[in-house]
Amino acid sequence: MLREIQQVLRFVQLLGKRRQQSGLNVKGGLLVLVWTETGPSVQSLNCAVAAAGPWCIGINMKALQPDLKECMFPCACPCLPPDPEELCAFTDLYGSLRLLLTFQMKDASPEWCARIETFLHTYSLANAKIKIHFKFKFSQQTFQRDFSVKIKNKAGGNQRSLILDVTCRTQPPECVKKGCWCQGGHPVLGDRLPLSIPPAAMDQGLFGELSIQAVTLLSPCVLQYPNLPTQLTHIQVLVYGPSNVPVTGPSTFFQNLPAHLDCQEVGLHGLHCSSFKDLVHSGGTVYTVEQENCEDPEQESSPAPIRQSLLLYIFLQHSDPFTYQLSDMMATEVLIERHLEDILNNNKQAVTKAVQTELKNTLKAQNQRKKNQQKMRSAAEVILGSSLSIVSSSSNMDFRNACLHSMKMSDTYDLSASLRESLRRVTSWKFTPKNICYSAQVEEYPESDEPTRTEI
Amino acid sequence: MSLMGSSVAELFSAIDKLRAELLNNVEVLTDCQRVEGEISHGEILSLIENVILGIVTSLSKDEAPFLALPDRSNWANISFDSAIGLRMTLGSSVTTIRSDCPSSVTKFAQILKIFVVIYKLVQSNSYATKRFFVVNSHFEKITKLATSKGLISGDLCYMEEDGTRIDCRSCSAAAAVSSNIAGIRNIVSHAKFIMIVEKDATFQRLLDDDFCTKLSPCIMITGKGVPDVNSRLMVRKLWDTLHIPILALVDADPHGIEIMCIYKYGSVSMSFEAHSLTVPSVMWLGLLPSDLQRLRVPEDVLIPLTKRDESKLSSLLKRPYLASQPEWQKEMELMQQSKVKAEIQSLAAIAPDFLTNIYLPNKLRYGGWV
Repeated sequence: MLREIQQVLRFVQLLGKRRQQSGLNVKGGLLVLVWTETGPSVQSLNCAVAAAGPWCIGINMKALQPDLKECMFPCACPCLPPDPEELCAFTDLYGSLRLLLTFQMKDASPEWCARIETFLHTYSLANAKIKIHFKFKFSQQTFQRDFSVKIKNKAGGNQRSLILDVTCRTQPPECVKKGCWCQGGHPVLGDRLPLSIPPAAMDQGLFGELSIQAVTLLSPCVLQYPNLPTQLTHIQVLVYGPSNVPVTGPSTFFQNLPAHLDCQEVGLHGLHCSSFKDLVHSGGTVYTVEQENCEDPEQESSPAPIRQSLLLYIFLQHSDPFTYQLSDMMATEVLIERHLEDILNNNKQAVTKAVQTELKNTLKAQNQRKKNQQKMRSAAEVILGSSLSIVSSSSNMDFRNACLHSMKMSDTYDLSASLRESLRRVTSWKFTPKNICYSAQVEEYPESDEPTRTEI
Repeated sequence: MSLMGSSVAELFSAIDKLRAELLNNVEVLTDCQRVEGEISHGEILSLIENVILGIVTSLSKDEAPFLALPDRSNWANISFDSAIGLRMTLGSSVTTIRSDCPSSVTKFAQILKIFVVIYKLVQSNSYATKRFFVVNSHFEKITKLATSKGLISGDLCYMEEDGTRIDCRSCSAAAAVSSNIAGIRNIVSHAKFIMIVEKDATFQRLLDDDFCTKLSPCIMITGKGVPDVNSRLMVRKLWDTLHIPILALVDADPHGIEIMCIYKYGSVSMSFEAHSLTVPSVMWLGLLPSDLQRLRVPEDVLIPLTKRDESKLSSLLKRPYLASQPEWQKEMELMQQSKVKAEIQSLAAIAPDFLTNIYLPNKLRYGGWV
C-alpha cells in the first residue's frame, strides 16, 4: 500500500517539479483515506488518494492515461469510490480535486495505520507546504491525523528547493521566559556527494548522474542560550528519492553504519542503531547516542544539558537527459529505491565519510559549549572565592551587611551558597536573542497535530 | 673638569639659559597638587568593596555582573595638554568585561583575584614586587611595585624608602632605577642637565667613555628602549626636584622619536597617570635628521626607511602634540624626504670617539637641541 501512495506522490511531485521551473506555488492539500468494507470479515483495504491546490495544477484526471495508472498501481485492484462527504470536506479547503486515485489491497491489517502515518509524517517533514489529511477506518474504529506544518524553512541550493518542517516539538524548560524559546530549527545544508551507479543497477536501466545531498536539523534550537550545555541523544536518518518522496523500508546500510563511523573523531562516546521492530514504525533509521558517565560532582551541580536530537536528511538526486517522460522518471525512481542498498554499498566509503562530516560539523557546537562550560565553571570558582574572601575579611560592617541583605542571607556561609546558585543561573541561562530564531510567546504549548481519536 | 680647555661656565652657558627659560615657562606642580592626586588606604579598600557590592547586587537581581573599565587603547579617549602631555579625558569610553561570556569570564575572574591580593596588601600595609598592571585609574596609587629595567648614572645621590643610600657617581657602573620611586627622598645633585639615552648600548658606550665625568655635573638615564613606568617616574621625579633641562639622545629613526615622545608626552595606555609620568620640557638633543646632513655622516651607515618606518613617521606627524613642536616637525619631515634613518652608533663612522668627545659636547655647548 505504501508503494502505491509513494507512486501517487511521485507523480504529483514530478509534475510539480516541471511547473516549479515556471515559478508556480508548491502548496496544496493531500488526502489519504483508507477504509475497510463493512462485513463479517475484513479482508481488503481500500485506499483513496486525492490532491488539490496549486501543487497539482495541470493534472487532468481524464487525460490520465490508463497505462500510466497501470504503471503507478501495477499490483492494485480497483475499488469502490470513497465517501463523497470526505471528499467534500477536502475540496472545501483546497478547491476542486485535481487528482483522485483509488485502489484496493488484499492485505488488510490495522498495522497499516501506523505505517502509513509514519510515511506521511516523513513525507511532510520534507514537503512542508503540503497539508496532509489522513483517515484510517478499520472495522468500527477511526484514526485521523492532519499534518500541518507550523514552521517551515527553505533549504537547498539552486538545484533543488526544499521546504522543510522545522517545527520543534520539545517543550521549553520551565525557567524559560515568554518569547525566549526558539520554536523552530535551522537546517544546515551539507556537501553534495556524487555517487557511482553499480553495474547491477545499470543493467536494469539506471543511468545518468546520481548524488546525495545531506541536510542536518538539530532540535531544539538553543542558539539563543550560548552558555547552556547540550547533549545529543538521538540521530534519525531519513532518505528521500529524487522527487522528495521518502524511501520506504529500513536500510541495512544505515543500520550498520555506526560500526564504520569514527565516533571519537566526531566527538561521540558511541552510537547504536534502534531495533528493527522500532525502525519499521519510526521512519528512517534511528540511532541512540551513548552518553558519558558523569562522575565529576561539579558537573552534576551544573544545569542539566539540553537534550537534542539530530535529523539527517539524505536527498537522492538524479539527472539523465535521456529520461524526460513522466513514466520513465517514475520508473527511474523505483529503480533507485530498489537498488538503493546496492548503490550505498557501492559508495560505502564516501557515504560514510559524508555522514561522519555532517555529524562532526553538528557536534562542533556541542563540544565548544562543553569547553565553554568548563571555562565558566573554573572562572566562577575564582569569582565566588574572591568576592567572599573580601566580604569575609572586611572590617567594614556597612559593606558586609549590604552584601548579606542584598542576597537576603544572614551569614557568609549562606551567602556563599546563594551567590554560587545565582551566578550559575545567570550565566547558564544567558539569553542572546537571534534574528534567525522563531521566538514566539512561550505561552501554552502550541496546538499539536497529534491524532484526534484514540489509535487503533 | 671640562673638554677642550673651556671653562665650565662656557660649556654650560646654553644649558643654564635653557634652564632659566624652562623655569619661567613650565608649570610646576605644588606640593598640594601632588598630594591631591594621592588616595588613602581606606579609600582603596572602599573602592574594592564597592566593586564587590556591585557584583553581589547584580546577582541578587539575577543579572550577570560585569566590570566597566576605561578604554586605555583608544586614541579617541585621549586629549593633549601642553602642560602635561597625553591625558585620558573624563567620560571616556569604557570596555565591558562580562561574567556571562566565555571570552571575557577568565579576565573577569583574574581581575577579582587581583582585587583580593591588593585588598590584602593594603590591609596589611605591605609591598609586593610583581608585574605591574592597572585595573582603573585609582589602583596604581597603591603600593604595587614593578621590577625596573632602567639604569642611571651621574651626579646623583638619594635614599630609598627602606633607608638604602644610592650613589650614582660611580664611573664604571650604573645604578638600577629604583622600584619604589615614590619612596625616594633626600635627592642630592649638582647636575646641570639630565640626558635620557634611548638604548642601553649607547648608555654603556657613554659610561665606558666616562661621559658623566667629562660633562660633569650631569645625570644620564636609560630605559633600555621603550621605558618602563619606573624609568619614566624617575625622570619625572628628577625634573620635579631639580628643575634642570632634560635632553634626549635617541636614534634618528621613527622608533627613537616615539620613545622620546613617551618620556615627553606620555603613552595612550598610561594617559590616566600623565601628570606623574610625563615631562613636557624634554628637548631633542640628537641624533637629529639634520645632523646627518650637517655632519655628512657616510651614506653607507645610513639605512633606508622601511614601509613600517614610513607608516610610523606619518602617524607621529599626526599626533596632537606635534602641532606645538614645529622644529620637531621639520626634522621629521626631513627624515620623510630623505627616506633614511641612522643609529647613534653611526657617528662612529666619522671617528671612534666622535659621539662623546665632539658631538655631544658641541651640542651642549652651542644649544643644538630642538
